[in-house]
Amino acid sequence: MTFPHFVRRLHLYLGMFLLPWFLMYGVSSLPFSHNEWFRERPQWTTRADRPYDLEAPPDADLRQLGGRILADLGMSGAYGVYRPNHRQISVYCPNFLRPTRITYDLDKKRLLAEDRRFHGPQFLTGMHARGGFEQDSTLNDAWGVTVDVVCIAMILWIATGVYMWWQLPACRGWGWLAVGGGIVSFALFMMAL
Amino acid sequence: MISKVIRRTHMYLALFLGPWILMYALSTMFMNHRGGGPGAPPPAFEVERERDYAPSFPAGAGREQRAERILADLGLTGAYSLPGGPAQQGRLTILRQDPVTPRRITYQPDTGKLTIEKLTFRWSNFLERLHRRRGYQHRFALEDFWAVSVDLVIVAMVFWVLSGLWMWWEMKVTRFWGGVFALLGAGLFAFFLVTL
Repeated sequence: MTFPHFVRRLHLYLGMFLLPWFLMYGVSSLPFSHNEWFRERPQWTTRADRPYDLEAPPDADLRQLGGRILADLGMSGAYGVYRPNHRQISVYCPNFLRPTRITYDLDKKRLLAEDRRFHGPQFLTGMHARGGFEQDSTLNDAWGVTVDVVCIAMILWIATGVYMWWQLPACRGWGWLAVGGGIVSFALFMMAL
Repeated sequence: MISKVIRRTHMYLALFLGPWILMYALSTMFMNHRGGGPGAPPPAFEVERERDYAPSFPAGAGREQRAERILADLGLTGAYSLPGGPAQQGRLTILRQDPVTPRRITYQPDTGKLTIEKLTFRWSNFLERLHRRRGYQHRFALEDFWAVSVDLVIVAMVFWVLSGLWMWWEMKVTRFWGGVFALLGAGLFAFFLVTL
């Protein structure tokens, strides 16, 4: 296999394997860019609504509190915790199809867990925004790795694409125009925005 | 003929949008490795300059009008936001959303001082700001042009998928292995979809 042959196959097969991710990142950018097109709010169904009492001083470890709340609800998996105000603790359990949000009201000593019904735009934006390695979960880490792989693939597509373009002497003129136009436009945005 | 048009469009569009794709790839990697815990402290504003300032705002000028006048006087016209409510004892704080050097401009009418601060440059923050910049909510034509370029990237990504499939199917010699990789990718994606 010659080097140009290898470059062409790498460009193609990488694209075929990562096609679902690339399509997802493209389509899911629409709700971010055109939020006004997707006005319908998601609907939530109650999973649990019950009295609950958990000591939660202001300086408590939020991650620990979140884990305890999840365990008390018989739930497990990836989660994020935040405290929107000193009387409330919110836990969010991401799931591509059916995420769960949990609200612990410290004043009312009430725990409310709700599942989101499938909602197209938020399903897409949820996939788009998911990443990182901060969860204690191999599966979540594996998704984080695929995000990295997609990023590396995008850089490889640029490099192999430029190489393949250069192998086509008939396309160099228009290609230079496209490359130059892109770089100049981008640089102008950086200077003028 | 149609095949040639698809191939050329695939290529020239990619050559033009290369800087955007590179930016999205690098910024995503930074964001993917940012971590959820306490990491590096957030970038800080540092004073760039201070000056006396005594504008004559039109009677009844609102916060936006005053902010835009200040930005114009500083030669910093462009996208901005106004943090905080109106009750700031007359003080006006403007966040100028420059992608490379975001600035915070504070005007204090009681002292007649204008303080211009800039955010310390960090590659990760710069790329993340660009990654998140989109939409048509600003009143500046240049912001709309940037939003159009973001939309163009979206359309291009979908087009690259479809045209890539077309080109793959045209090359009989790569059909088998291309199909294998496509199935493996789709299978792994579906697995994540139902388990995560």
